[in-house]
Amino acid sequence: MARALSLYVETNTFLQKLDPMVKLLYILLSILLPFLILPYRVVGLTFILISCLLLLYGKVFKKVLPLLGFSFLILISIVIIQGLFMQSNRTPAFTIDGLTFYKEGLLYAWTLCIRVLDVLLAFALLVLTTRPSDLIQSLVKRGLSPRFGYVLSSALQIIPQMMSEVGSIMDAQRSRGLETEGNLWTRLKAFVPLIGPVVMSSLLETRERAMALEVRGFSAIGKKTFLFDTEMTLLDKILEWVLGILLLISIIVRIVWL
Amino acid sequence: MVVKKTIVVENLKYRYPNTSKLALDSISFSVDEGQFVGIVGKNLAGKSTLCEALVGLVPHFYKGAYGGKVVVDGVEVLNSSIGEMARHIGIVFQNPFTQITAAKLTVYEEIAFGLENLGMDRVEMVKRIDYVLDLLGLYDFKDRNPFELSGGQMQRLAIAGIIAMKPTVIVLDEPTSQLDPQGSEEVFKAVQRLSKEGVTIVMVEQKMEKIAQYADKVMLISEGKMIDFDSPQKLFSREDLENFGVEPPVFTTIAKKLNVKDETTGLYPVTIDEARRLFSL
Amino acid sequence: MGKKSMWSLSFSTPVLVLIPAAVGINYVGKLFAQLLKLPLWLDSIGTIIASMLSGPIVGAVSGAINNIIYGLTMDPISFVYALTSIAIGLVVGIMAYRGRITTLWRAIVVGLVVAIVSALVSTPLNVMFWGGQTGNVWGDALYAYCIAHNIPVWLSSFFDEIVVDIPDKVATVVIAFVIFVSLPKRLIQMYEGEETLERLD
Repeated sequence: MARALSLYVETNTFLQKLDPMVKLLYILLSILLPFLILPYRVVGLTFILISCLLLLYGKVFKKVLPLLGFSFLILISIVIIQGLFMQSNRTPAFTIDGLTFYKEGLLYAWTLCIRVLDVLLAFALLVLTTRPSDLIQSLVKRGLSPRFGYVLSSALQIIPQMMSEVGSIMDAQRSRGLETEGNLWTRLKAFVPLIGPVVMSSLLETRERAMALEVRGFSAIGKKTFLFDTEMTLLDKILEWVLGILLLISIIVRIVWL
Repeated sequence: MVVKKTIVVENLKYRYPNTSKLALDSISFSVDEGQFVGIVGKNLAGKSTLCEALVGLVPHFYKGAYGGKVVVDGVEVLNSSIGEMARHIGIVFQNPFTQITAAKLTVYEEIAFGLENLGMDRVEMVKRIDYVLDLLGLYDFKDRNPFELSGGQMQRLAIAGIIAMKPTVIVLDEPTSQLDPQGSEEVFKAVQRLSKEGVTIVMVEQKMEKIAQYADKVMLISEGKMIDFDSPQKLFSREDLENFGVEPPVFTTIAKKLNVKDETTGLYPVTIDEARRLFSL
Repeated sequence: MGKKSMWSLSFSTPVLVLIPAAVGINYVGKLFAQLLKLPLWLDSIGTIIASMLSGPIVGAVSGAINNIIYGLTMDPISFVYALTSIAIGLVVGIMAYRGRITTLWRAIVVGLVVAIVSALVSTPLNVMFWGGQTGNVWGDALYAYCIAHNIPVWLSSFFDEIVVDIPDKVATVVIAFVIFVSLPKRLIQMYEGEETLERLD
């Protein structure tokens, strides 16, 4: 059944209760600090370690692995390609089956691994422990236009709704004799008859939905209220300040040192 | 006692953008508070356009060319935004699916959407949501995802979302045309209940038996013009109805064929009860 | 009826409803491409239709939201590539506004331009995160060949991206075009025109 898209895991730890803004700030810090405070790899690894500990604490560590899947494959190929072919490769590290891996390339690949894991884990912390609707509401409270808040929440609901139609369209078109298997050209030709109906109906629906929103005061002027209103806790506020100041200090330090 | 006029329409004319023909042509009528008005006419006669003109979608959503005046609950539609009108008049469309905001995860939150937009205080919000959940028989579904409801339930949810905003008038534009018989019946029951609560109702409907049963007055529209606006008995007794693409209720058709009229009024029966009374004589 | 300014930042309600639909179309396109085992992504059809209907800003916002949603729900690295999606939305929107994508031939040209712009924007991101690779087997094989033959990383990475982008983006724009021309006129008018209210008395 169609449900809103989400990677959120309800494990009821402190992380789930934390204000989403704190987690957003953490992402910002983990991306920027390795660049601001050198050495890059040490700071990056520190953040990876912190993220891992937090994910373990939040009981969502196992859910990170599928998220890493795609990136992991590229990272392996990076190690191979850069280790073998990077142009600044000078110092051989080891040789397997006549293929020589070089230190420079491997070190560069290692840096990239740290960069990707750093970003990925920080984001994982946010998406695994935050309900998308909470994130959106929190952004709206901080000044994101509620109309854009609508766009985000609606996308999260509309996408699974539209994807759930895919199977039945495929069956229907096949039963009308549409060939969906065979050579590349046959399969390519099948694409438009398949996607056409979904596109058409979803676009035609926009007019009616827009009207339905209008008559429910979507464009009404004045302050909106929230059915569920959560206040930031003292801890949220403290953490937000600490992370904010940390970011500020690093930027200043970096500028002074340059 | 002076009855309040909830809707006053004077010489309303309207043309959609990029078209040359008037969709509404010199329409004037008024509706008393608490009345149930049915609108009938063939496809593209202008019924939906009239509905949209009552809530302000015409002209504010479409723009185009507009003349005359529509006043609902004392507010002139032309001078107020659709959002402001929402406090006075609401509308329910044909397709229940497109009326789901698609931004809320539960029926409960879905109903709150309009109230949040109007900036309503939370205590009042909860009170109103509970009231409409009960009124429309949706209490058991309050934690469901709106997309997981049946057509009839979804349409009742659309009505609930509108009613929670406490409009004086609710317009229903063929609310059952895309529903199965059971879903339709659920919606008709809900509408009947609203009427009992004193809400003024304007309903476009193809099922003439229902119009005859519920409506205090029926409006006949053809090619953008109002042909007639009268009691269901008088309107459905017109001999020229078929010329406007309207088929009277089945009892009326039979009575017309057999030429059975109410002797005192000279009109044909329109509901099953009237027909039973006349035929049993 | 006047045409809205291309850079209008006012988002009407129909436009705000269009954006999630556009993102949904992107997802559905990607899913059908996978089900048909096509060697293409075809995951920006919605963004391109939104640009054609409503201009570069709406296209760019659809692109950005597409990647934000994908990042939130599938692959966090996708956030970074929002820049590419934004660029695609902008390019198609500008070209559609200036010249009206009216023929299949023009759609192919637009597809080529989109492929180049998309590769130009993606390359620095690819270099920063993946040392220049894309994760596409054919593209990455070309990349490995290039750097093994002393072609600069940036150029190798650009080749890696563009060999994937040209067929994909040309196909995407052509498909979007075929769908766009079959849309009802009334729908297109709702998105492109800035209607005015006229008095009839």
